[in-house]
Amino acid sequence: MRRTRLAAVALAIGLAATACTSTQRTTDKPSGSSTAANNGPHKQGGTVTISNEQGQTWPCQFNPFNPSVYLESNGFVYEPLVFVNALNNQAETPMLATGYQWNADKTQIVFTVRSGVKWNDGQAFTADDVAFTFNLMKRVPATDTYALWTGAGLKSVTAAGDKVTMTFKQNAQTYFFSFADQVGIVPQHIFGSGAAAANPATWADPNPVGTGPFTVSPCTPNNIQYTANPSYWQAGKPYIQKIEYPAYLDNGPANLDLASGKAQWGSQFIPGIKNLYLAKSSDNHTWSPPMLNVSLWPNNDPSHKATSTLAVRQALAAAIDRSQVAAIGEGGQEPPANQSGVVAPTFQNYYDSAAVAAAGYDKPDPSKAAQLLASAGYSPSNPLKLTVITITGYTDWDASLAVIKQQLKPLGIDLTIDDLAQQTFNAKLFNGNYDLAYYGLQTGGPTPYYELRELLASANTAPIGQQANSNFERYKNPAVDALFAQYATASPDQQVGIIKQIEASMINDVPVIPITESVDWFQYNTKDLAGWPTPQDPYAQPAAFNFPDAEQVLLHIYSKSAQ
Amino acid sequence: MRKHRSNGFWPALRGNRKAMTGAVILLVFTLVAAFPGLFTSVRDPNALLSPPSLQPSGAHWLGTTSLGQDIYAQLVYGTRQSLIIAVVAGAFATVLSVLIGVSAAYLGGVFDDLLSMLTNVMLVIPAFPLIIILSKYAGKGSLTVMLAVLVATGWSYGANQLRAQALSLRNRDFLESARVRGERRGYIIVFEVLPTMTSLIVANFLGAALYSVLSAAGLQFLGLGDPNSSSWGTMLYWSQNQQALLTGSPLWSLAPGLCVALLGAAFALINYAFDEIGNPALRPVRTNARTRVKTVKKRGQRVQRAESQ
Amino acid sequence: MRFLLRRLGFFLLTLWAALTLNFFIPRFMPGSPELALRDRTRGKVSPAALEQMLASFGFKPHQNLFDQYLAYLGDMVTGHWGLSIGQNLGEPVTTIIGQALPWTLGLVGLTTVMAFVLGTLIGTVAGWRRGGRLDGILPPVFVVTSALPYFWVALVLIMVFSVWTGGWLPGDNTYDNTIIPGPSPGFVTSVLQHALLPAATLLITSIGGWILTMRNNMITTLAEDYIRMGRAKGLSNRRIMYGYAARNAILPNLSGFAMSLGFVISGAILIEYVFNYQGLGYLLYNAVQNVDYPLMQVLFMLFTVAVLVAVLACDLATVWLDPRARAKG
Repeated sequence: MRRTRLAAVALAIGLAATACTSTQRTTDKPSGSSTAANNGPHKQGGTVTISNEQGQTWPCQFNPFNPSVYLESNGFVYEPLVFVNALNNQAETPMLATGYQWNADKTQIVFTVRSGVKWNDGQAFTADDVAFTFNLMKRVPATDTYALWTGAGLKSVTAAGDKVTMTFKQNAQTYFFSFADQVGIVPQHIFGSGAAAANPATWADPNPVGTGPFTVSPCTPNNIQYTANPSYWQAGKPYIQKIEYPAYLDNGPANLDLASGKAQWGSQFIPGIKNLYLAKSSDNHTWSPPMLNVSLWPNNDPSHKATSTLAVRQALAAAIDRSQVAAIGEGGQEPPANQSGVVAPTFQNYYDSAAVAAAGYDKPDPSKAAQLLASAGYSPSNPLKLTVITITGYTDWDASLAVIKQQLKPLGIDLTIDDLAQQTFNAKLFNGNYDLAYYGLQTGGPTPYYELRELLASANTAPIGQQANSNFERYKNPAVDALFAQYATASPDQQVGIIKQIEASMINDVPVIPITESVDWFQYNTKDLAGWPTPQDPYAQPAAFNFPDAEQVLLHIYSKSAQ
Repeated sequence: MRKHRSNGFWPALRGNRKAMTGAVILLVFTLVAAFPGLFTSVRDPNALLSPPSLQPSGAHWLGTTSLGQDIYAQLVYGTRQSLIIAVVAGAFATVLSVLIGVSAAYLGGVFDDLLSMLTNVMLVIPAFPLIIILSKYAGKGSLTVMLAVLVATGWSYGANQLRAQALSLRNRDFLESARVRGERRGYIIVFEVLPTMTSLIVANFLGAALYSVLSAAGLQFLGLGDPNSSSWGTMLYWSQNQQALLTGSPLWSLAPGLCVALLGAAFALINYAFDEIGNPALRPVRTNARTRVKTVKKRGQRVQRAESQ
Repeated sequence: MRFLLRRLGFFLLTLWAALTLNFFIPRFMPGSPELALRDRTRGKVSPAALEQMLASFGFKPHQNLFDQYLAYLGDMVTGHWGLSIGQNLGEPVTTIIGQALPWTLGLVGLTTVMAFVLGTLIGTVAGWRRGGRLDGILPPVFVVTSALPYFWVALVLIMVFSVWTGGWLPGDNTYDNTIIPGPSPGFVTSVLQHALLPAATLLITSIGGWILTMRNNMITTLAEDYIRMGRAKGLSNRRIMYGYAARNAILPNLSGFAMSLGFVISGAILIEYVFNYQGLGYLLYNAVQNVDYPLMQVLFMLFTVAVLVAVLACDLATVWLDPRARAKG
């Protein structure tokens, strides 16, 4: 006790006694070179401030294998082999690999590693670093965050010259996104020795050494400042010379800073965005592309009588007015979803809107819902009582459910909303201990295949009472499983056809009822900064919490005043 | 002694302006809680009936929430739960205080040691952090869970006070005479001791009720209650989540908070008036007249404890 | 001596009770840090990797509960407080607490002392000028302010001084994010500005109790014989008020003050929450939200220890000041 008290006193004295030194603001520091760009079309200079509420102060750790901090290092400091753009048909941008070659049955891939790249501590980046990164995941499974060695069947990774060869047990095409796009490559000379090698999953990594466009300098609990890496391998980039990433503990101040233009890159929900943000300045813009579904998950297991009845699920899907839910529950900021399970318009070319319309799910149809319910033996006089579980704190979901409850009531479905603490909710959802759940998966991929596979593949489910991976509704359909297997080896055109067949199962079996589409929250200010991703030029997912997409945004934006 | 009290007490209370103010507030809230239908035409306060985020108007006295619920109607229907929490948690906590405090004093010996140890431990353990942990892990903040948590953490202060007073009464003449008459211990406690402690017990109830109102509102505000229930704390939680202060619906936040404050003030005013009545020296005076009084109960501290969390 | 031993025994027993409560409550409830972490990482990490990761941070759910309990007691006492498994995955608990502690001590500690001193002064004057204009208004006003919910006062202050004035006073955070913390005038000013509204909230809601108890104590004391004696002897009013009446009237309040100092470090959770003030209370709220067992355990232990130390110190002071207490022991 005494010790801490002394420390506090010392702090107070320190505060009082030093009135004549000058206040250092992060923005006062001499900004990096404002010299003309060497090759790029834009000159360098300027600062971007990110407003992405975390609800915590920064731990100033940057270990790319630690999932609670890797969003602040992957893409900023650490780079992947290839960037895959989920918003633009999987368009690929070579990063640390200049190219790659699959073998015929796609069980082996050979990356050609870029030459002339330096780590930001001056050492040369080589193919050995790439092989080291993947082999580290084998040695320390806690770092294998995408289950490449266990799930994807990775067998070996070797480096020779500027080539890295990865060999898999089976066709690995559908895991390309995970190992090429999602893994940040780390330096062997840092992670191969000392504390980092001893505990690579937990090591703090306070001064990350990466190949990326920015370096951390300095980090305080309240703000991370990144400065441009002068020896970045893309000459003349990044244009922006500095990033401020303040720690916002609450949405309120984060939104205020966005509205005032103090922060220019927003990645969070702003309630009443028209008044609170857009109306404040003509330079404020928003574009939040939908990426995944938020759905009502009926328990398909026969032990849950009502929700395993097809007519009941069909009635729910027909009765709910998704547009109204999106308009009221999500304040119009998330679009309504559709029963096919394909997020539109993001994945428009996969979306079989005709099939949805043919099945009558393109608009709410209460009378059809009433008939279906009657066929299952329920009516307003003999109401179906259902409980839907949701997560406390997700007030937009609470609001959406309040709308759904109101829509279902006249049909004879009496919905009880059960708000649970996150952990309790997860335990029930994962173990299949619920009738209805309101939930959205949090990971997708560059095509609808990834979300649908998580949602529907029987490999991702488990018996009631055991933890399912992602198929929480317990849907099992061998035909759909076969389609997923075919997809891996199919040509891109065939893949579209396969997805549409899977959509047909979504429409016919109604295993899950998509309600709204969750979006990448994105607000941007164009007063000084240009080059943001837009619907016309969706070169990357725009939210700052997407990696490695954030790197692409940072490499595109530039300061108008520096030109 | 008992007779004297019950005769002198209520008239004194009626004459006390603070007590009357508190009582009127309490009465109004009780009426609203009992007959919400008389105060608003809305029947389901959570129904999404209206356009969102309306400003106050004739149709919606306090405007609507960002979901289109009538704020005034929510306020009216929220009264019941807040009042129930205050009264029920306050009452149960008081009963527990009486049971533990008075038994400790009268059983004496090992029992007293154990019970007062328990009381002191509970008194010292920081209650609000404990409440947060408890209600978080109870999974969801249903009314029962909240009441249980409030009672479990709210009895110790009163038990300590009641034990002290019961100890001081133990050797008084009228109890001695009861013992000489050969009455049983249970009879003495219930019919002789408790009535003389009425004023302290009532004061404890008021203090515990105040503590429950504030703590429950704080818990619900933090999101540890049931977000679909109708109560003032829940309204505060929703308005905070929807950033009512920033998005131009400040009344959504301010009105339920004011109601919590009024209800709390009502309990506090009546409690303070009790102090004044029990201790005539404290009564408001116009002149500098002084009355000699020997004992002062430090009841103000109860408030402090409830809040210092 | 016997008295002291008794108090020490009480100290240890309470500590043990708090630690035990603290250990068992979370473990008998549903949910696990693994699930919480899985959600925080947006499901990007495979469950197996998560479990291993948590294990490498010292989370061992598969161990025998009793063994865990013993190890936990030992670790708490010896200061091996472990690594956070919450938002700041992998950061030592001591570091996290070390960062938050000065803010709470500074804000809540100073405000508590200020409220006590100011409240006592006002209470003294009010009690002395009994029936005066001040005394007519003060009691009802402060009865009401001391019953106000903290967080609501905070919201009102933010509304008035931050929102309506367009950010005149900051209603969030401990200092301006763009300033690099250091001994500079700008940083100090920023810290003070950011402390203003939370301190005002604390002051408004806590000063009433001190005023009222002090006023009432004064009134009772003024009726004592020695005060009459003083008057009869012709002592100046000032002397009687401060030298005799206030000095005695303050005594019963001192133990309450000691207690409230003990409660300082558990902070004002709600105030820190509303103002996003990164003190210990804010930390506890976050730890609970994120099922961060190690952090939660240590915080709760510290909160309890602080109160116990305050109580013990008060006991010792009483023994030292008042011989009767020694005899009683």
